[in-house]
Amino acid sequence: MTANALVKQFYDVVNNPGNAPREWQKQQGGRVIGWLKTDVPEELIHAAGFLPYGIVGGKTKFSRVDAHLQSWACSLMRSCLGIALNDELNFLDGLIIPHTCDTTRMVSGIWRQIHLLPYMENFFLPRQVDRASSKMFMLAELMRLKESLEVYSGSAITEENLRNSIALYNENRGLMRLLFAMHEKTPGLISCRDLYTVVRASMMMPKETHSHLLEQLLQALRIQNNVYQGRDKVRVIISGPVWEPPELMDIIDSKGTVVGDDLLTGFRYIASDVNTEEEPLAALAERQLNRIPFACFDSTQNPRRQFLVNLVRQKQAKGVIFLHLKFCEPENYDYYDHKLALEKAGIPSTRIETEVGGVSVEQMRTRIEAFFEMLGGI
Amino acid sequence: MAPKQEFKTTAMFKQLMSQYYAQGVEARRKNIPVAWVTAVFPVEILYAAEVFPYYPENFGALAAARKIAHDLSELAEAKGYFYDLCGYARCGIGDAYAQEHPVGEIERPDIIFCCNTQCGSLPKWFEAASRFYNAPYFLLDAPLIEDAWEEQVKKYFIKQLEEMIDFLEQSTGKAFDYNRLVRVLDLSNEACRLWNEILDTAALKPAPFGFFDACFHMAPIVTWRGTEEAVTYYRALKEELDERIKKGIYAIPNERYKIYWDHIPVWPRLRWFADLFAEHGALVVVSQYTHSWAYNFDPSNPLESLADNYLKSFVNRSFDKRIDLKINFMKKYNVDGFVLFSNRSCKPNAFGLYDKSNVIKNVTGLPGVVFEADMSDLRFFSEEQVRSKIEVFVEQLKER
Repeated sequence: MTANALVKQFYDVVNNPGNAPREWQKQQGGRVIGWLKTDVPEELIHAAGFLPYGIVGGKTKFSRVDAHLQSWACSLMRSCLGIALNDELNFLDGLIIPHTCDTTRMVSGIWRQIHLLPYMENFFLPRQVDRASSKMFMLAELMRLKESLEVYSGSAITEENLRNSIALYNENRGLMRLLFAMHEKTPGLISCRDLYTVVRASMMMPKETHSHLLEQLLQALRIQNNVYQGRDKVRVIISGPVWEPPELMDIIDSKGTVVGDDLLTGFRYIASDVNTEEEPLAALAERQLNRIPFACFDSTQNPRRQFLVNLVRQKQAKGVIFLHLKFCEPENYDYYDHKLALEKAGIPSTRIETEVGGVSVEQMRTRIEAFFEMLGGI
Repeated sequence: MAPKQEFKTTAMFKQLMSQYYAQGVEARRKNIPVAWVTAVFPVEILYAAEVFPYYPENFGALAAARKIAHDLSELAEAKGYFYDLCGYARCGIGDAYAQEHPVGEIERPDIIFCCNTQCGSLPKWFEAASRFYNAPYFLLDAPLIEDAWEEQVKKYFIKQLEEMIDFLEQSTGKAFDYNRLVRVLDLSNEACRLWNEILDTAALKPAPFGFFDACFHMAPIVTWRGTEEAVTYYRALKEELDERIKKGIYAIPNERYKIYWDHIPVWPRLRWFADLFAEHGALVVVSQYTHSWAYNFDPSNPLESLADNYLKSFVNRSFDKRIDLKINFMKKYNVDGFVLFSNRSCKPNAFGLYDKSNVIKNVTGLPGVVFEADMSDLRFFSEEQVRSKIEVFVEQLKER
């Protein structure tokens, strides 16, 4: 198959959410456990015999959500709850909500109240990550989640199963990192939107199938490798929670290319593997503590500032585009410091306010294009 | 409306609060560290360590009550802090960058403590402050608590209290005195007991004291909790209330309805709301906000008891538990209806209110209303909309 035909299959998964898990249910007869962004340890869900499904919001109008969640809640959570109310998630048997911010913390109660699923759980991440107690709590919480999944599945998650799931996830992350590395070297090979669609699809379909398709895609791209380099494209870093709406990637593609990010639906999702040498739960805890910092989970010293500066230099990017969801408080509290750190390092940046679902991209287009024109002159 | 008869303790209150603010300056002269703390934080440990605890939220409330929150906020907004953030945080951040300080300058911290029981905004604000003021920062992390995982969270919290005491010893260079902690806990217990007796007088009909009075008189239970001063103040206020009850001086003339309020007031419109309700013979008598300071420590088991009390603050409880707590208050104070404030500044209190309102109506059969505004920023206050919502609600009260 050609690279284009393979890429189309990832788009099919993303554009028809629910098809892949429904197909899996039909074939395997298993149960699907959804998770909201971000950092839910999918390996545990998988090892319990369930299909993990990442809920990343949707495109449909979600006016029914207005009766449950204020208009000034972030559009990502409004969209996730909205598609549930529209019965677009009725293939789910369960849901795990991570407490990463005040909104996710409150949405867990609302969801339980209005749309109770057979299995509902929270995942508590420590908010301080520098002290011994955070590791202790992280491990205790992973044990609690494991036991909770075991109770729901009716059987124990064996160490062997968990190790197998970890290996499967590590492999998939590794393949996606290969794709990112190829794109970074020859940005013309695959568009940014295609690249990030591959990541997004991986949250919404069985990892086994995703890895299989991805291997074919990598092979097809290797053959095309010399066709088009695109090395002259203006290179930028993007930072924020999610790349929404997807059309903004097309705008970036038309002007330059992304060579690094810290997005929950981007490189942050695949950057760190789980150490297979260690006891699996301890290794999952350690992976979590070592992830790329984001506004809801990092050291109190805000290491993300330096992370961004380093990323720009390492990837020889010309600037940073912040993609901030409107009403996202954690991102906004850190923004001034991030901007300052970049200014001090002489790195231009711009902030685009984004929303999930039904938003006009024209304003974004003007801002993004102007930023690239400015960078082009540097 | 007849002007309200001032509390005699108001003079004492003013003196106590100016003494509190003067302590910040005084502390610096005496080389006592000034620590930033959050409202629902085990401040008893700081008092025991002889550190001066300063409450930036109190600064936010003060700026809001003086109706200048949006001026300070604009200074924060100019830096890239958007007006979607918590109003207190915008006041605090704005004042840090301000040339002029219309409500006094926010106290510079030597050391910063934060407990995130209340929300995720405080830790982000305090974190930014720790960079701005170059002050060491300690976050006491409080995951949401439910019975099923209470032990796990409690263990984590107690471990952090130990880490915090180590951090304090390092920062102050002094060994922590557990005996002093026991004395501070006794004083906190006494102040909390008196405060709750005072709040309970609002259950009398007619009542000598209501929620809006409590919003005024609550500053010492927040800032002075753990000291003799708080005990002395609330003893005096309690005596005055007993006296008022004897003399028949009530919070409003002709009290007909009692109202539950959730949760914080709209500070710049405190009086406006009080008058609007009073016009209809309605008195707001209870709110989870003013009842937050109902601690009861066991001094023989200090750390565990601190964990129990602070972790179980209502805002850190599950959706269902929070509904139960609200309904219990409604029953205890025998209210006729409820008002839920969907506060833009406070997502943990606002999100879920629509569903909670429905559940409470179904369970209690009481009329209720949800209105939108901001606790400090009048740019989000639509007087006409709020008035008409409250008036429809009052009509429902009258029809019962």
